[in-house]
Amino acid sequence: MTSDATPPPASATPPPVVKFDRVSKTYDGGYTAIRDVTFEVDDVPGHMEIVGILGPSGCGKSTVLRLIAGLTPQHPATSGTVEVMGKPVAMPGADRGFVFQDYTSFDNRTVQDNIAFGLECRGMGSAERTALAREWIAKVGLDVDRDAEKYPHELSGGMRQRVALARTLILKPRVILMDEPFGALDPGTRYAMQDLLVSLAREVQATVFLVTHSIEEAVYVGDRLFIFSNAPGTILRQMSTPPPDRPARVMQREASFLDIVFEVRDIVDGIEESAGAAT
Amino acid sequence: MTARHLFALRVVPSLPVRQAAGSAAIAAVLLVWWFLTSGVTPEARTISPSVFPSPMEVIRGFPSLVTDRNLIGGIAASLNRVFLGFGLALLVGIPLGIVAGSFRLIGAAAQPISLFGRTIPVAALLPLTLQMFGIGELQKVMFIFLATAPFVFHDTARAIASVHDRYVDTAQTLGASSADVMAKVLIALALPDIYATIRTMFGIAFGYIMLAEVVDAKAGLGFIMLQSQRRGMPEHLVATLFVISALAYGLDALFRFFQRGLFPYREDHD
Ligand SMILES: Nc1ncnc2c1ncn2[C@@H]1O[C@H](COP(=O)(O)OP(=O)(O)OP(=O)(O)O)[C@@H](O)[C@H]1O
Ligand SMILES: [Mg+2]
Repeated sequence: MTSDATPPPASATPPPVVKFDRVSKTYDGGYTAIRDVTFEVDDVPGHMEIVGILGPSGCGKSTVLRLIAGLTPQHPATSGTVEVMGKPVAMPGADRGFVFQDYTSFDNRTVQDNIAFGLECRGMGSAERTALAREWIAKVGLDVDRDAEKYPHELSGGMRQRVALARTLILKPRVILMDEPFGALDPGTRYAMQDLLVSLAREVQATVFLVTHSIEEAVYVGDRLFIFSNAPGTILRQMSTPPPDRPARVMQREASFLDIVFEVRDIVDGIEESAGAAT
Repeated sequence: MTARHLFALRVVPSLPVRQAAGSAAIAAVLLVWWFLTSGVTPEARTISPSVFPSPMEVIRGFPSLVTDRNLIGGIAASLNRVFLGFGLALLVGIPLGIVAGSFRLIGAAAQPISLFGRTIPVAALLPLTLQMFGIGELQKVMFIFLATAPFVFHDTARAIASVHDRYVDTAQTLGASSADVMAKVLIALALPDIYATIRTMFGIAFGYIMLAEVVDAKAGLGFIMLQSQRRGMPEHLVATLFVISALAYGLDALFRFFQRGLFPYREDHD
């Protein structure tokens, strides 16, 4: 990391929310997961981007998200710089929320106490954080009276991901990293969660990185798409997509939407074919 | 439910059926016992009364076991030793286990010593503690301590270490400090497993104490059994055995009761 010492250029424009500069990651075993990944997501007030990330399995999508989050063993990068809000990432923090595909609710905590976890770590008083947590239970579409005191084992997969979303958003993170968060949900629940994500991300003004295997989901939720190549992964294509301004169930059936989906699918299939030819 | 269904592979019968099966097995054992020890004269019995008493003799021996042999005092003495020795093992084993499970370097450092402690045969601990602590209460307490502490330590460390990384990752991205991760994630999520270890190890410690008391003691359940054997009172020996069994069951039921209350989010309470 040679560029650590260079100060950010003095200018009126704010630094990018997330900036990757020729980032590579080679794991301990010698396997290179990503090579020379470079991108910038700018901080445009009032316009918070949702970035959809697509790519073949094993191309390093999770590696990229975990580098932004500062989670080991992906962090630190082998070479290149990862900056968030103009500062190199040093460790995980509540400014970069993470929603995983695996259910990660704390089994020993009720829904309410799961959602209040981050506030508790901040030292917020019990009454205050409980009140806030209950607000967020409602915001993510759960029932305060019925669900607040439930334990995770009493929840369905969709409800658990709502809890995970609430637990992250309650902290008002600047960046939300989501790694196949809806991968295990049925299609109906998935649409509902996509709509919920879009509206709540706008509400808290967060930049979202969403890794998904569903092209429809990436095209719908994303304002922008990153399409990764095979390992060692690098960004092959960046493209803008229409913003999600109608409900998921409606917009994902429109012909113009499907045209984009097919276009992206051709690109992705092309990548997978080239991988098949190489091996 | 047909008979064929009852014997189907891995099919769990209903609770009444299971209880009936358990009771039937007890009845069968009692019947065999009664049959082998029945007879008008000692000579008429298949098993002589000096070898093994009959069920009725055991029941008739109970009052004198309590009055003449101070059964209650014996129970108190044995439990006291277990509470002290095992309590000490928890006091040392759990905090060290938490540290070893949380900080892998310390865990690696402790590994060989812990392995050594766990492979010492209990029988070897008797001469060792007699050598080190002489005859007396301290030796019995230390015997229980040394026999259980390595296991308490090891199981605690393992419970902490096996908390999945994804919970730690999640907590950190929610702003948890290292202290938060330890207290609110590692310990909190490992606690049900640690408690289950305590429950199992307590049962084992309760069994071990008799061993120390049989070798040398002035009181305790093991002492009562040894005396019964020496004085030729097998009915007291067998009756004490039943008392121990009932006591062990009762204490475990107490542990289970608290387990349910403490960890309502875990369903695997047996
Ligand atoms: N901790 C690690 N140590 C060694 N190799 C790793 C590690 N984590 C990931 N890898 C390897 O790096 C490559 C990229 O992994 P990553 O999880 O980032 O892929 P991905 O794009 O998220 O895949 P998927 O779509 O299957 O989730 C994979 O080949 C994986 O085996
Ligand atoms: Mg992944």
